[in-house]
Amino acid sequence: MAAPQRRTDIGPPHYKDFLPPVIQKNYGNWKYHEILEPGVMVHVANSGDKIWSVRVASPRLLSTDTLRDIADIAAKYCGGYLRFTTRNNIEFLVSDEKNLNPLKEELKKKGYMMGGIGPRVSNIVHTQGWIHCHSAASDASGLVKVLMDEFAEYFTKKELPNRVRLAVACCTNMCGAVHCSDIAIVAVHRKIPQIDHEKVPNMCEIPSTIAACPTGAISPDPAKKSVKIKEDKCMYCGNCFTVCPPMEIHDPEYDGVAIVAGGKVGNLRTPPKFSKLVVPFIKNNPPRWPEVVDAVKKILNAYEKGAMKHERVGEWIERIGWEKFFKVTGLPFTHQHIDDFLIARETFRTSAAFKW
Amino acid sequence: MDKEELKQKIYSLVEQSMGKKKLKQSDIEKKISEEAGVTRQDVKAALKELIDEGKLIYTYFGGSFVEIPPKQ
Amino acid sequence: MSELPKTPLLDELEKGPWPSFVTEIKKAAKKNLMAKDELAQLEKSYTDKRGYWKHGGIVGVRGYGAGVIGRYSSLPDQFPNVANFHTVRINSIAGFFYTSDAIKMMCDIWDKYGSGLTNFHGSTGDIILLGTNTENLEPLFAEFSSRGWDLGGSGSAMRTPSCCVGPARCEWSNIDTLDITYSITQEFQDELHRPAFPYKFKFKTAGCAVDCIASIARADCSIIGTWKGNIAIDQDAVKWYEKNGMNIQEEIVNRCPTKCMSYDGKTLKINDEDCSRCMHCIAKMTKALKPTGERGATILIGSKAPFVIGATLSWVIIPFMKMEPPYTELKEFTRKVWEYWDEYGKNRERIGELIIRRGMRDFLEYVGIQPDPRMVKEPRRDPFYFWKEEELVPNSKL
Repeated sequence: MAAPQRRTDIGPPHYKDFLPPVIQKNYGNWKYHEILEPGVMVHVANSGDKIWSVRVASPRLLSTDTLRDIADIAAKYCGGYLRFTTRNNIEFLVSDEKNLNPLKEELKKKGYMMGGIGPRVSNIVHTQGWIHCHSAASDASGLVKVLMDEFAEYFTKKELPNRVRLAVACCTNMCGAVHCSDIAIVAVHRKIPQIDHEKVPNMCEIPSTIAACPTGAISPDPAKKSVKIKEDKCMYCGNCFTVCPPMEIHDPEYDGVAIVAGGKVGNLRTPPKFSKLVVPFIKNNPPRWPEVVDAVKKILNAYEKGAMKHERVGEWIERIGWEKFFKVTGLPFTHQHIDDFLIARETFRTSAAFKW
Repeated sequence: MDKEELKQKIYSLVEQSMGKKKLKQSDIEKKISEEAGVTRQDVKAALKELIDEGKLIYTYFGGSFVEIPPKQ
Repeated sequence: MSELPKTPLLDELEKGPWPSFVTEIKKAAKKNLMAKDELAQLEKSYTDKRGYWKHGGIVGVRGYGAGVIGRYSSLPDQFPNVANFHTVRINSIAGFFYTSDAIKMMCDIWDKYGSGLTNFHGSTGDIILLGTNTENLEPLFAEFSSRGWDLGGSGSAMRTPSCCVGPARCEWSNIDTLDITYSITQEFQDELHRPAFPYKFKFKTAGCAVDCIASIARADCSIIGTWKGNIAIDQDAVKWYEKNGMNIQEEIVNRCPTKCMSYDGKTLKINDEDCSRCMHCIAKMTKALKPTGERGATILIGSKAPFVIGATLSWVIIPFMKMEPPYTELKEFTRKVWEYWDEYGKNRERIGELIIRRGMRDFLEYVGIQPDPRMVKEPRRDPFYFWKEEELVPNSKL
């Protein structure tokens, strides 16, 4: 068989070819939706037409076997139409109500987990980790798995005051929305890079390596045609390593994860917020990172107990105050919590009103 | 300047900076358009041909650059 | 195919209710040597608590500088089948809609030319084909492109634009997020495939301020749908929510950030003049409340993860832009922004960092936009600011 003819710059196929007929007909004309179950919602069009979406959990990393199974299920009950959510869940799009229950039955029988819609914990947005990334200081998929095992009930049934968006990033490059999530894990280093002076001259451009440092810790080392690091200025971000691989920053003994909380991206009620540091460091403890799960559980439990309806984690913390947050979660407050990066003063308390 | 000449000029520039400074596509466009008195679009079109022919390639080292492919 | 390697640590991650990525890798590893070595190397990472991948380099498909990310095992002798194991990004469908046939078509190609492992989707929104050898790249690309699928972005290029589900299945969308995404993807194919920028550039389009695509946090250009008219109220539907257990005063009126709502137990009122369009009330009472009047988008610029100057959220550049096909105003604005970045940006400097470095005035004057109070949370606090020569008029009363 002749090799197929390659084409360039054609872009992706048109989205219209992938929309179920009921969506094509009612495109831009939806009236409202209702959440029928934690994993089922119905959208109703102005025309009266309806489409049911059945959401199931996905590990994001999918084998072709599983993809084929999903495709078969969609072919059987959804006219072959399905989609993925922005948080990597799978959604089966049902146009004919009589297919809804048989679909749910088959999903249940095959062990797919339905849920994630509404004020719950949805799937965790995450990065590549040890599976495929050069700069991973921890494994993202493993952390996601152990956290979602722990919080599975918050996906499949239990409600929270509002939705809780979790994220995991395997280094501070943060390919994901970790910096604006309700609770997120970010892997960090704690030791300065080890420079391989033999390789730096060949593999790295000195000016861009120096420019990669946010704190100005890197300077030229002309004698070695390499660079040197001012130890007391380095904050272990690892940006130099990405530009210049012979600046090895990984150190299994000292790498681990930090936990941040209180971020959001939506504008509802309060503006989007950054996540803030709540746990500066927990050692990598694969395969199940029990200390990380425990710390996240403390935050989620305190939120569930203390937040008012519709309050996101960040809104709850702002209302009760950070001093109260550390009190109710039992998490220690340390030197690392007080900012000393580039524009630190923005976060200092400039008021005499606070709680005990 | 005809296209072949322009392509030669681009190739020489990339060749000369090998081992000294990695060039980005925009570095090449800016420098050659100024030197040769042609538009950036002209340089871009010539560069695209060089890349389509495999004489130059894009590389990635913490950023994307244009370089000469390594000898097999 | 031979047996799977022993993976006692990873086996622990097949326990528990959540679907397991380890199970997925094992499924692929049963019939694919690359997936088998991926599994074995990952077990070693779990044992040693560190990754074993190297990145970068010179791989790609002919003519493109994006879409393939070079990836190499740093232990090629132990794991020869992943000695080179590159990521391929396939440009996803706007709104992430697929058909069973399309999924199966991709599986067939990927089983033939790759590891059988995928991500639906990567963080930016591409379909990720997780690992194949260098020699498979060209045939793989020919198989995909001949069937109408193209590669996504990587490196210092425009990245694959993505969007929320938008008007396809959401009543809140003020703009056609799918069409905008498709249109800019097609318009800027060269910028997507041939990395000519100082660094990456991401577009994300959200239909409303709920921002289900996290546009404001992770796009260099965030396009967020909004409206200019009033909120129409269906009082009967308000009653329906009350009857179904909603405390209108507590959950809706008291949560309004601008205090523009009131409820006397019979009629819900909104002082539209004071509404900031945050979406809380609409999202909670979707049957009862609807935006009306002119629709468009707010264009914000600059969000990114922490490297180098700390994380940023996008900030308002154009408070309101009409969004109708072929989106000429958006495309012209984008070209102008890229021109500015090309002129002044340093290697690895994102557009937001550049604007912070050179100042908003420099940028706004370059792209021809007038200052507007909607661009800031508050005016500056310090008394230090520039004047230009032409602003200093001798003998003027001002």
